[in-house]
Amino acid sequence: MSVLPFPSFLDDVKEKGLKKAVFELVDESVERLTAGMNVQDIREALRGEPASRKPNPRLQPHADGFWLHMRPGYFHSDMTGLYPTFRLGWLSTYLVFFETITGILLMVWYTPSPEVAYSDMLNILGNVPMGQLVRDLHRLGAEAMVLIVALHMVRTFFTGSYKKPRQFTWFTGLILLAITGFLSFSGYLLPWDQLALWAVTIGASMIEATPPQIVGDNLNLLIRGGPEIAANGLLRFYLLHVLLLPALLFVFTGVHYYKVIVHGHSLPPRKENIGEDTAKRVPLDKRVYFIPDVLTSEIMWLGVTTLILVVLCIWFYDAPLEHHADPQVTPLGTTAPWYFLWIQGALKLGDKVFWGIIFPGLILGLLAVWPYLDVTVSRRYADRRFAITFFLSIISFVTILSYMGLAEFGVRTSPDVEIFHEMTFPPAHNHVGKLLPVPYEQLVAGVYSTRQTSASPEDAEAAIGAFNAEIEQQMVPDPLVAGSTITLEERVKRDLEVQHLPLPSGLTFRTVPSDAPELLQQLQYFGDRLLAANNELYNAWGAIIISQNQDNLKRIDLVISWDEVKVENGEPVVGADGKPVLVLDVNGNPMRRVSTAHVFVHKDAAYFSH
Amino acid sequence: MATASVTKAKPDGLAKAGQSIQVCAPSRREFLYYIWGASIALILGQASAGLIWFALPRFKEGEFGGTFSFAGDAIPPAGEPPVNIPSGRFWLSNITDEGFVALYGVCTHLGCLPKWVETNSRFECPCHGSKYELNGKWIEGPAPRSLDRFKTKLTFDDGSTAETNENGDPIPLNGKKILNVAINTGARLKRNGQV
Repeated sequence: MSVLPFPSFLDDVKEKGLKKAVFELVDESVERLTAGMNVQDIREALRGEPASRKPNPRLQPHADGFWLHMRPGYFHSDMTGLYPTFRLGWLSTYLVFFETITGILLMVWYTPSPEVAYSDMLNILGNVPMGQLVRDLHRLGAEAMVLIVALHMVRTFFTGSYKKPRQFTWFTGLILLAITGFLSFSGYLLPWDQLALWAVTIGASMIEATPPQIVGDNLNLLIRGGPEIAANGLLRFYLLHVLLLPALLFVFTGVHYYKVIVHGHSLPPRKENIGEDTAKRVPLDKRVYFIPDVLTSEIMWLGVTTLILVVLCIWFYDAPLEHHADPQVTPLGTTAPWYFLWIQGALKLGDKVFWGIIFPGLILGLLAVWPYLDVTVSRRYADRRFAITFFLSIISFVTILSYMGLAEFGVRTSPDVEIFHEMTFPPAHNHVGKLLPVPYEQLVAGVYSTRQTSASPEDAEAAIGAFNAEIEQQMVPDPLVAGSTITLEERVKRDLEVQHLPLPSGLTFRTVPSDAPELLQQLQYFGDRLLAANNELYNAWGAIIISQNQDNLKRIDLVISWDEVKVENGEPVVGADGKPVLVLDVNGNPMRRVSTAHVFVHKDAAYFSH
Repeated sequence: MATASVTKAKPDGLAKAGQSIQVCAPSRREFLYYIWGASIALILGQASAGLIWFALPRFKEGEFGGTFSFAGDAIPPAGEPPVNIPSGRFWLSNITDEGFVALYGVCTHLGCLPKWVETNSRFECPCHGSKYELNGKWIEGPAPRSLDRFKTKLTFDDGSTAETNENGDPIPLNGKKILNVAINTGARLKRNGQV
C-alpha cells in the first residue's frame, strides 16, 4: 500500500527506514549526476583502489556523459608526465576559458564608445572592487596565452608530433595561433588610450598594405569603419573581439581537439618504433585512467596556473593605461606587445608590403604546410637535425627581429625631447616617467634647477643663488623683436607663459626642500641625463617647476636650456678637439636654446614606481 | 511521375569486367539539384557582396574633403619651422627658394603623425623613424615615399594666383606677398617615390 496515492520516496522510507532510504536516494542521484559513478565508486577512486565492479564505472561518465565524452577514458602512462607535453595543450585550453571569464567580467563595466571607453577603464581600475585585478588578469592572461600557445607549437614541432597522421591537427593549430593573435590585436584597442589607438593604427595600416591594392584598401576600410579609427572602428574591433573571433576560436578548438583524440596523443619519440603510430593502442599495464588520476592532475595544473597569474597581478604586474587617445598626437615610444615586436622590427627594415604582410605570411604559411613538406617517417631527434635546425633558426630570427622592434632600437629623436619623454611618459609596460611616481606631497610648489645637484650639497644654496644671478644677466636674442636682446630669465618666462604657466614674479630658483627627497632624486637624475647628453645639449641646465594648478592637481613644467650645437643628419658635429662645434650668431656668441614640456599629476593618480 | 532515366551506355563500357564507371546523362532530379546548387551559390555570392557593401563605412574621402582658407600671414616666413594645423591634418611649410607647400601630416609608412623636431630641422616620425625635410622630401626611414601634399591655391597681393602643379611641388613665391591661401583637403597629391 502506498503512503501517497502514487508511488513515491515515502514508500522507501516506510520499507527501509529513513536513514537507508535517504542514503539510497543520494547514491542514485550521484550516479545519475556523474553519468555512471555512485558514492562507493567515487570513494574507491579517491582512495586509489581498483574498481570493485565491472564494467569499470570510471569509464561510464566518458561513455554516457557530455562533458567527458571527448576526453579519453585512459591515457598512456608515457604521456602523463611532465615530458613530453608539459601540459601545454591543457593550459592553452584553460587560458581560453580564463580569458573568456575575465573578459565577460570586464564587459559588465565596459562600453565600446570613444566617449566613455577610457573613463570606463578608469572606473574599472579605480572604482570597481577588484576591477584592477580582473583587468590585469585579463591582460596578463592574454600575454600568457600567446606564450603558452607558442610554446605548445614549439613542443609539437620538436617531438615531431605533426607527422602523419596528425598533419591536419597541426594545421588547425596554426589557425588557432592566428586567431589568438587577432584576438590580442582586437582587444588592444579597447582601452582607447594612446597606446591602443596608435598601435592599432599601425596594424590597420599594415592591413591596408595587403596586395592587391583594392583588397588592402577595402579591408582597411572595413576594419576601421571610417577613414580613421573612431567610434565605428572601436565598435567593430569590439565585435570582432567578443563575438566573431571567440566563436571561431571555439569552433577550431573543437576541431583541433577532436583530431587529437581521434589519433591519440603521440608518444615520446623514443618510445615508438619508427614509422609506427602506437598511440591509440594502450596496453593494459600502461593505462592511466582519467578518473581520478589525470582529472586531479589537470585540476592541480589549473590551480597552480591561476595562483601564478594572481600572484603576478597582485604584486608584480600592472597593465598599462596611458593618456586618453588623441588622434592628433602620436606619442614617442609606441610599441607593439612583445609577441608582435618581431613584426615591428621587420617593418624597420623596409617596404611595408613585403615586411609587414608577405614576410609574416610566408613564415606562417611555411609553418602551416610543414607537415605536408616534411614526410620523413622518423620522429627521433637524432634523425631530424635539419628540421630542428630550421626551426631553431626561425626562432632566432624572430628573436632578433623582436629586439629590433623595441622602442629603444633605432627611433631616436632630438635629446631634449627624449629626456622630457623619460621624465614624464605615462605608464606603459611596467615603466613610467621618472617624475610621476614621486609622492604627491613631495611635489612641493617651486622652481628648481639641476645646478643644485651638480654642486655638492653644502654648496647647493650658493650655486642656486649664483644661478639666479646668471639668468638675470645672460642676454639672448629677443624672438619677437629682431636685433634686440632680453635676459635668459625673460626668455624662459615667455616660453612658459605661451604654455599657459603664468610667472608674474619671474623665475626665482630655490633648493629642493629637505622633506622632498624623491623629488631631489629625480632632479639629480635629470641633471645626470643632461650631462650625459653634453655633446648635443652643450652647457645645459634643466629646471623643474611645480605649481598647484587646481585643487588636487599639480602641474610640472620642465625646461632645458643649452648652447646650440651644429647638427648634421641628426648627429652632432664634433670638432678636432673632441668638443662639439657650436652654432654661433653674428657676434660670434653661442646661440642659447630653450625647450619646455609639461605634465599634470593628480593627487589620486598613484603611479606605481617599479 | 515516374522518373525514367535516360541511360546512354557506352558500348564498350559494360562489356569489360572491372570497368565500374558508366557515364550517363543526368536524370531530371540530378539536373535540378545542380540548378538549385548554382542558384544557391549565386545567392551566397550576392549576399557576400551585399555584406561587404553593408559593412563599408560611409564617409567622404579622406578628411572632411573641404577647403581650408587662411589669410596670408598664417604662413611662416621662408625657412622657419612649419605651422601645424591639426584640424586639417596638414602643415604649412615655406621653403627658401622653393616656395609654399601644404603637407599632409600623416606618415606615408603606417599612419603615425611625424613631429617637426626643431633641433634636427626635420620631420621625424616617432613610430619607426621615418624622416622628412621641410618640403616633405623623404630623408631616411621605412616610408615608401615623401609626404603627401594638398592642392593649394595662393592669391597674391597683386591679384595674381598660383596653384600646385600635378607633381605637388611647392609653389614658388617669387618674392610676392600672399593675400590668401586655400588648401583643398579633398585633393591629395602623392609623390612618385622618395623624391
